Amino acid sequence: MNIIEDALKRGAATLSEYESKLFLAGFGIPVTREKIVTAENDAVAVAEEIGYPVVLKGSGDELSHKTELGIIALDLRDEKDVRAAYAKITSHKDVPVKEVLVQQMIKGERELVVGLTRDAQFGPCVMFGLGGIFTEILEDVAFRVAPLTREDAMDMMDSIRGKKILDAVRRKPPVDREVLADMLIAIGEIGLTYDRVKEIDINPLKILDGKPIAVDALVVLDKG
Amino acid sequence: MAWAKETSAVSTDFNRIFYPESIAVVGVSADNPVSFGSLIFKALVSMQCESRLYPVNPKGGTFGDFDVYKSVEEIPDEIDFAIVSVAAPLVPETIEACRLKGAAGVEIISAGFKETGEPEGIALEEEIKKIARKGIRVIGPNCFGIYCPESGLTMAPGPDFSRESGPVAFLAQSGGMSVDFAQMGKWMGIRFSKIISFGNGADLRETELLEYLGNDPETEVIALYIEGIDNGRKFFTTLKDVAARKPVIVYKGGLSEAGNRAVTSHTASMGGSRIIWNSLLRQCNAIQVHGLQEMAQASLAFSLLPPREYKGITVVGGGGALGVSACDAAESFNLEIPTLKDDIVEEILSVLPRPGSSATNPIDSANPFVAPGAIKSTLISAARDPRVELQILTQLLYHFKSIATLSGAPSLRHVIPYKKMADAVKEAVDITDKPVIIVLPNLKQELESMEIEEVTRETRALFVERGIPVLDSLNDALRAISHVASYYKKR
Repeated sequence: MNIIEDALKRGAATLSEYESKLFLAGFGIPVTREKIVTAENDAVAVAEEIGYPVVLKGSGDELSHKTELGIIALDLRDEKDVRAAYAKITSHKDVPVKEVLVQQMIKGERELVVGLTRDAQFGPCVMFGLGGIFTEILEDVAFRVAPLTREDAMDMMDSIRGKKILDAVRRKPPVDREVLADMLIAIGEIGLTYDRVKEIDINPLKILDGKPIAVDALVVLDKG
Repeated sequence: MAWAKETSAVSTDFNRIFYPESIAVVGVSADNPVSFGSLIFKALVSMQCESRLYPVNPKGGTFGDFDVYKSVEEIPDEIDFAIVSVAAPLVPETIEACRLKGAAGVEIISAGFKETGEPEGIALEEEIKKIARKGIRVIGPNCFGIYCPESGLTMAPGPDFSRESGPVAFLAQSGGMSVDFAQMGKWMGIRFSKIISFGNGADLRETELLEYLGNDPETEVIALYIEGIDNGRKFFTTLKDVAARKPVIVYKGGLSEAGNRAVTSHTASMGGSRIIWNSLLRQCNAIQVHGLQEMAQASLAFSLLPPREYKGITVVGGGGALGVSACDAAESFNLEIPTLKDDIVEEILSVLPRPGSSATNPIDSANPFVAPGAIKSTLISAARDPRVELQILTQLLYHFKSIATLSGAPSLRHVIPYKKMADAVKEAVDITDKPVIIVLPNLKQELESMEIEEVTRETRALFVERGIPVLDSLNDALRAISHVASYYKKR
């Protein structure tokens, strides 16, 4: 796939968030609607095309801790918000930000994580579990060795302690397990097919009207 | 065996390895009767091994009733299998001689190879591998080898293992654990098809042996102790394949977290060895256990209980609190103790001592001295409830001690009707076609009460003879049942 080869050619260790999602979307993984812009007016135009509210994030190969860097602005509700956020992100005093990602804002309360790692003994393994900050705090995750059967994917969802998060909670519909299973299987296939993809994080994976959607994603490359 | 050819460059005749007609034992020493070679030879003799045995030592002479041959070449017979216990530097030439003699396999007891970490030992192990690839299968080095009750093949410290064959196979790097498990099996009632300790695993090791056991008609249950593995992908696919056909119980030792691995993503930092192994075993529907005791108990349950997705059970015993704790414990093992129907309750109460007993399930027999006939009737009545799939009967023998003292009986044996109890339970199992597990704790273990320990062991042996599993505690029983239930549920 060109995204991977291009990134390797320019010596990148990871794909940017935008490229990561573009790559994952190629395997049918649902991702947020988003576009890269390099001008404030374009940011407004894209925000209007996507529909408010939106998120603005500084974009680039090495910008992987956006929250900590303060180059992320959430829940922007109109043109004024977008212009102010764009100006702030692109004038960060320590980090030169040339590109900005304008992204659909997903207000899902449920945050999951899906990922790929390469185990020294068993090769590509898919991870599923509680996402957001709870990934590290609760360590409520399960792994499966790729390739995953549909049964493996379904059983994986049942093997975390917090599996009730997938049920109907607080008037929210249950998570579409079939779509989630497709994602888990696809991540395993990527691991088996693309040797140069070393690790993947989709965190958080949020739930919008019962459908999972990748809100942030990181593809780590094996530079060889 | 066509399937063996897929995994090995050499076609492997496992039958000649596990059921050899003739065995060379190299390293038997008349001068040193406690050398490993001498011990294994004597163990084979005391086990009445079915094979023709040929001791080998360069000095020749005799060993007991046997002529000692000066070399493998000198043996005037064909050799199927060889057991080698000579100094490490002599091992390569010894196994090469066995290969030229036409042996299908060899087990190397000797240590002093890769496990030393020394260049010399590592080089010797490489030589072993080279010879193996030329056409002889190697078990070891640095192992206790094979125990196979049917052929009488045994391990170095195994002169008194059982010759009774059964459905359980065990596979481990560790020789010590293999011997421990064989000894435990003897009194617990676990009967083995094969136990293989493969030590350093220079040639045959976990994956290929697991595949063999998966296809072995003598083996119905496989237990596995693993520290490291050789080829993770192949092990994964083999385990998944075998566990789909036979229960595979896995005790993984040395589970440690990844620690400070240099990784970028959250996913990689979460993927330590422990969680990956736990996940992989669940993915393969292998039964994960966390110790030798649990592994032995699960092996016993799988070998004696009919293959079912157990859910509803009864718990029968004396004492109300026992029943309450049983309900709590059952729930945590995903088992149910259903309340029995009124007519069944009435039927049971009519045979149990009144007042004081309760029969809704758990069934409290009120005192521990219930006659075997009443126990039998209780089990038969409770089994009429279709939700009941298995019954647990707790027997506390120490209460009989006070009866013996009060009645002036010469010994505890005169007051405990243990033979009748074993018969009564066996009859109930045969009539109802629903298995019973006996929980037989000895809660009175002070030195002065050795007699209770003796009687407890005798009682256990009587149940084991009748094919009824006996465990030490209710918790152990529930855990073993839940392993069986969850395996068949997922298969």
